[in-house]
Amino acid sequence: MPSSLMLRRRHLPAVAGALAAGVGAASAQADDAAHDQLLVGMSMNNLLSLDPAAATGLDALAVACNLYDHLLETDAADTTRLLPGLAEAWTVADDGRALQFRLRSGPAFAGGRPVTARDAAWSLQRVLRLNLAPATVWKSYGFSAANVDALVRAPDDRMLQISLPQPTDPTLVLATLATSMSACVLDRDAVLAQARGQDLGQAWLTTHAAGSGAFTLEAWRPKELLTLLRAPAHWRGPARLRRVVLRHMTESQTLRLMLTRGDLDVAGGLSAPDIRALARRPDLVVERVRRGNLYYLAVNARRGPFTDERVRRAVLRHLIDFQGLDASVLPFYGELQQRPVPPGLPASLPQPGYRLDVAEARRLLAEAGLAGGFDTTIRVIAESPFTAIATSVQATLAQAGIRAAILPGTGNQVYGAMRERSFDLVVGRGGGGSEPHPHSSLRALLYNPDNRDSARLSNFQGWRTGHADAVLNGLIEQALLERDAERQRALYQQAQARADGVVGGLQPIAQVLDTQVLRRVVQGYVGHPAGATRLHGVHKVAAAGVVA
Amino acid sequence: MTTMNLLRATRGLGGIAVTLLGLLVLTFLIGRVMPVDPVLAVVGPDADRSTYEQVRRDMGLDRPLAAQFGSYLGGLAQGDLGRALLTGNPVATDLARVLPATVELATLAIGIGTLLGVPLGVLAATHHRRWPDHLARIVGLLGHSTPVFWFGMMGLLVFYAWLGWAGGIGRISLAFEGTVPSRTGLLLVDALLAGDLAAFRSALRHLLLPACVLGLHSMAYLSRMTRAFMLAQLSQEYITTARVKGLSERQVVWGHAFRNIRVQLLTILALAYGGLLEGAVLVETVFGWPGFGSYLTDSLLLGDMNAVMGAVLVVGVLFVALNLGADALYRVFDPRAQA
Repeated sequence: MPSSLMLRRRHLPAVAGALAAGVGAASAQADDAAHDQLLVGMSMNNLLSLDPAAATGLDALAVACNLYDHLLETDAADTTRLLPGLAEAWTVADDGRALQFRLRSGPAFAGGRPVTARDAAWSLQRVLRLNLAPATVWKSYGFSAANVDALVRAPDDRMLQISLPQPTDPTLVLATLATSMSACVLDRDAVLAQARGQDLGQAWLTTHAAGSGAFTLEAWRPKELLTLLRAPAHWRGPARLRRVVLRHMTESQTLRLMLTRGDLDVAGGLSAPDIRALARRPDLVVERVRRGNLYYLAVNARRGPFTDERVRRAVLRHLIDFQGLDASVLPFYGELQQRPVPPGLPASLPQPGYRLDVAEARRLLAEAGLAGGFDTTIRVIAESPFTAIATSVQATLAQAGIRAAILPGTGNQVYGAMRERSFDLVVGRGGGGSEPHPHSSLRALLYNPDNRDSARLSNFQGWRTGHADAVLNGLIEQALLERDAERQRALYQQAQARADGVVGGLQPIAQVLDTQVLRRVVQGYVGHPAGATRLHGVHKVAAAGVVA
Repeated sequence: MTTMNLLRATRGLGGIAVTLLGLLVLTFLIGRVMPVDPVLAVVGPDADRSTYEQVRRDMGLDRPLAAQFGSYLGGLAQGDLGRALLTGNPVATDLARVLPATVELATLAIGIGTLLGVPLGVLAATHHRRWPDHLARIVGLLGHSTPVFWFGMMGLLVFYAWLGWAGGIGRISLAFEGTVPSRTGLLLVDALLAGDLAAFRSALRHLLLPACVLGLHSMAYLSRMTRAFMLAQLSQEYITTARVKGLSERQVVWGHAFRNIRVQLLTILALAYGGLLEGAVLVETVFGWPGFGSYLTDSLLLGDMNAVMGAVLVVGVLFVALNLGADALYRVFDPRAQA
């Protein structure tokens, strides 16, 4: 054997030892590097764009509200309380048709240019011109690409005026300005510099940012990684964290392992058993935030036996084990909620007390001539907790003789079928609720001004389920226009009572909870119910044996 | 080059082009009959009808299928694979990012699988029906029949959570994410080029466990195949002759029998490597490895057909390249093929 090879062989153990030691040292170096970074593991499945005029969903908003500022904000502890953002003051005209905002002086975009009212006006105009999903809410207030330039104006750099094209509740519009992705204020010049053709910078903003938020976008590799860097200057002062790293992770077990090893600071999307196990650890804390949307069971009221109100009542009111689901399936995912308006709002009502009652369901089915039951299908997203809810519903339906086959699919497939009214039953999640206003939920869940197939009002779940009630629609419309708070509250409560009586196509089961597990070293993290969790004040403290 | 060689090469290239075109047509048609609506993926479930219709038009999905496919081929002819819905990036840019991550993982995995699997298969064959053979078969059976995601989870539990030897998920610790400038896309190489040894060590720590998990799976396959090939060779008369001539067992096994299975081994190695490049989805999911398999699967679930077709095209090209590579090596190892 050549001597050089022998030499190499002699050195093999030493080389291997050095390699092992080096590999071991990497862990300590990673801890050192992480002391001023927030490491977040979450699913980025729904994060397809960062453009405020194109992006949908709470995950996008959670990122955007750290890259951009809004004119207004809402208090995470009481979402009905508006707080100043870029606007330091605002007024509503007596007739409720005009809003005026005075912007603070000082905020600047990441590129250094001061934020002006003209940027704020252009940002809203852009949303309507592009007419993508976030425009939907503005169109419901009567705005359009044709009228938005005249209705949203900036007379000078600090004054923004918004005229409402049709009567509506201005508090709802203010809530939208405080919570919607579409209300982020963009650096007009920076975006237009990247525009291609007529796209108003849409292609560029899908993966870039041009805001004045506490962080700037360092890198984004969709479905892999997103990193934020502390903005050099923010009008609230610099963020306490230097960097935020969001990593796409979907495996609950992996998230759990990384949390327990201290390689993650915040984890979202964990399964209930994993959260339960982690809740026992002293170095971790479980945070639950109540969202505005709901888990529900929907029926197609234009299809088969569900056209009969008695069948809908049997299925939606008496064949769901609400309490059982709340106790066994929904902890960490949701909490019992049987009404469309979320708890905590002035118009919220106590739960109506629906519970599993197979005998009553059988009686109603017999009355409808379906004593022997019938065959049907349940479309469901193949994820927790949807499948567990669907399985429970399948079992309770069977007790009344209804034979339901479960059709699992992606969100795209399930909601796609629902939008086409091509379903029997759906276990889903949704229902507005982003704005802390009863109209947000009632409009999304129950309102259906035109039940014809040709109307194609597929953004309304009321239309999707094929159920319309003129009285209910009237109450929802009337309440929105009522300026007296007491009378408005009474009208919203009447609307809920009406929905209770007529049995539409959708039954809420639980209010959605967003559960995250955090290491205790993370301080100042306050989850926002509307998804606008700002990380400006979040920081990490040293803890013996946890952070170097 | 003789006319015959030229003809042969032209025929070969034509065959490859037809294969790839067939692959694209099939993928395009399957994509169009899948019950996934790419428009809905873009606009979300709550968009109104006017937004939905506008985006559908913008994506060109209101045009006839033939026109859509024609546009795609037109772009392809100019080297444009289109833009991915999933990422908003050109598909080519995405593939250039995800492919090196998988190449890094699959190459180390196939290396581990080969270094362990081939000697194990030879050992089993030379100790036919004795305990090393039984052991190799049990190892092979376990490696082949145990779900790879289970191996992955157990590996993470033992080597990452309990012992702390391995890195967690991803290609590098979160604290180092995004800090290494990408030059080749191979993180180990890029970290070295940047002179960042801490990042290199972190990347190596993260790579070893998933590569071992994938490698063990490959090892099981390679050892079984090697054993079968070797058993077939060891029963040949020329082996008996070699032994009668007084050659040592080592010369008989490695110098004669093994030399004759190299061509077969090359074929299954190329196939196994190709399989790892396109099909390591489960390991990529468990280890949060942002690779090619995950990209293809995510794109498919989203109905992102530009990304799917681009990825399928790359898979086709990879298999063709691996087969051509294997063919070239046949000529090196098999004198009959040189004729």
